[in-house]
Amino acid sequence: KEGMERKDVMSKNVSIYKSQAAALEKHAAPNCKVLVVANPANTNALILKEFAPSIPEKNISCLTRLDHNRALGQISERLSVPVSDVKNVIIWGNHSSSQYPDVNHAKVQTSSGEKPVRELVKDDAWLDGEFISTVQQRGAAIIKARKLSSALSAASSACDHIRDWVLGTPEGTFVSMGVYSDGSYSVPSGLIYSFPVTCRNGDWSIVQGLPIDEVSRKKMDLTAEELKEEKDLAYSCLS
Amino acid sequence: MEFVGEEINYTFVIQKVLVLLFCVGLSWKMIIYMCNLLNIEKDPIRVLITGAAGNIGYAIAPMIARGIMLGPDQPMILHLLDIEPASSSLEAVKMELQDSAFPLLKGVIATTNVVEACKDVNIVIMIGGFPRIAGMERKDVMSKNVVIYKAQASALERYASDDCKVLVVANPANTNALILKEFAPSIPEENITCLTRLDHNRALAQLADKLSVPVSSVKNVIVWGNHSSTQYPDTNHATVSTKTGDRPLKELVTDHNWLKNEFIVEVQQRGAAVLRARKQSSAFSAAGAACDHIRDWFLGTPKGTWVSMGVCSDGSYGIPPGLVYSFPVICEKGSWKIVQGLSIDEFSREKMDDSARELAEEKDLAYSCLNV
Repeated sequence: KEGMERKDVMSKNVSIYKSQAAALEKHAAPNCKVLVVANPANTNALILKEFAPSIPEKNISCLTRLDHNRALGQISERLSVPVSDVKNVIIWGNHSSSQYPDVNHAKVQTSSGEKPVRELVKDDAWLDGEFISTVQQRGAAIIKARKLSSALSAASSACDHIRDWVLGTPEGTFVSMGVYSDGSYSVPSGLIYSFPVTCRNGDWSIVQGLPIDEVSRKKMDLTAEELKEEKDLAYSCLS
Repeated sequence: MEFVGEEINYTFVIQKVLVLLFCVGLSWKMIIYMCNLLNIEKDPIRVLITGAAGNIGYAIAPMIARGIMLGPDQPMILHLLDIEPASSSLEAVKMELQDSAFPLLKGVIATTNVVEACKDVNIVIMIGGFPRIAGMERKDVMSKNVVIYKAQASALERYASDDCKVLVVANPANTNALILKEFAPSIPEENITCLTRLDHNRALAQLADKLSVPVSSVKNVIVWGNHSSTQYPDTNHATVSTKTGDRPLKELVTDHNWLKNEFIVEVQQRGAAVLRARKQSSAFSAAGAACDHIRDWFLGTPKGTWVSMGVCSDGSYGIPPGLVYSFPVICEKGSWKIVQGLSIDEFSREKMDDSARELAEEKDLAYSCLNV
């Protein structure tokens, strides 16, 4: 709330998620899938994982699909194409202003097949500048217009996250999910970090082998650092 | 091949016909399969929501965009209309719809301009209206709303698509719909309806709760009359699906006193109960019911099931024509039809007439407001 220090918000939330971890572990079904939406989403999910060790770590995720969908929306508007023709953006990292919306592997369906987004937008300055900050700050823009935070779009993205997780992603498409890092793409393990994933048979797996340029590397590391700081802050609140 | 008499000719023909039919059958499946592969998308339908910046609008917009109202393969373009003071919230709804990346949503027009909003729309959901504020007299609410609906009637008549289907949600729903009909004479009266599906769904839920069965097992309640406290939720023809088939509800709910009293009051006053609990009026259940109303109208009611819709009375069941009254209807090929021939007992007759009387009074009040 207004006037609250970051440490205060963190400390209130970690105690909530610690106690809910215990309850879920004891009473939920053994294969229970968890999606954390409440902010700080990644760190709340991490706390949940740490204090519900019998829940398989692959079953605990956090929502970055909203940012993913927002990125798709911005590109579709820029190109004046239906949003269903745009796919494979990636949201890396923390669901916060340090998130990195990456279009380097994004594609658009055209009458002559799939084309890279960069080729069609032809405006790298926009893609590396305004586009990124628009997506990062979209939440604030909604609050400004609505006087309330996004509800409709958050709810819808949460549905998309779970639906794709349970029913599988379409062939050739990947989505963004905040999941437990296994060290892929040199992201430190032990964090809940948003990656590009495909889903099949009720399981997600990180899309491997995507080339990462220098600009992307820096941004991905920045958001990992923020998550490490949040993790330390969370643990200090619990001690 | 030798033709030896009629008999062999006959066998020969049968064989040929069978082979031909088999080939056609096989090719037909391949043709259908190829058409599906081509995945030819349907043209988008234009849906107008008035009062779109409000709570019901916020709930219904994503339901429509998700495909809940028109089916999973029907794309749409949403027209969102509201008044100038709500333009910032309206813009926010458009932004959030974009942020949701709905595959079926092919465009959003968010506007305070009624002409732009009505242009070429195929479906209209009218949620916008003047709400009743504490201290307001019934005549005042009525007079504000009839003015709104008279104005929107002209706009719709001029700019909406010829086959446009209208659902009025804003209260007083039946009378707003009547005013719309009177002042948009070129819109076929069967295309103007009002929402009583919310009451219908609430009734199903109360009965399901009483019987401890899933709500999908209960069907064919009827909500007769006005979407107000004179509505009559009628269980005389309702059925429940059980292991031994569909059985009359009145057989399974033996407490007929409850059905004639508390149950009716519960359904009539559910809106007030939600208002008390939420401090705001029902939004998502109203939105859900509006989607059900349009979906069944558009795509048809399931076999053996009817639903409740507020429609222009044709005199069925002794209800005066010239009122918008809730009847049991089935829907097929985009049209509704009142279910005929249901037996009406004395208790029901009285309640149905009470509601009709109230609607006639509302109609007079509405007209008197327009003459002033």
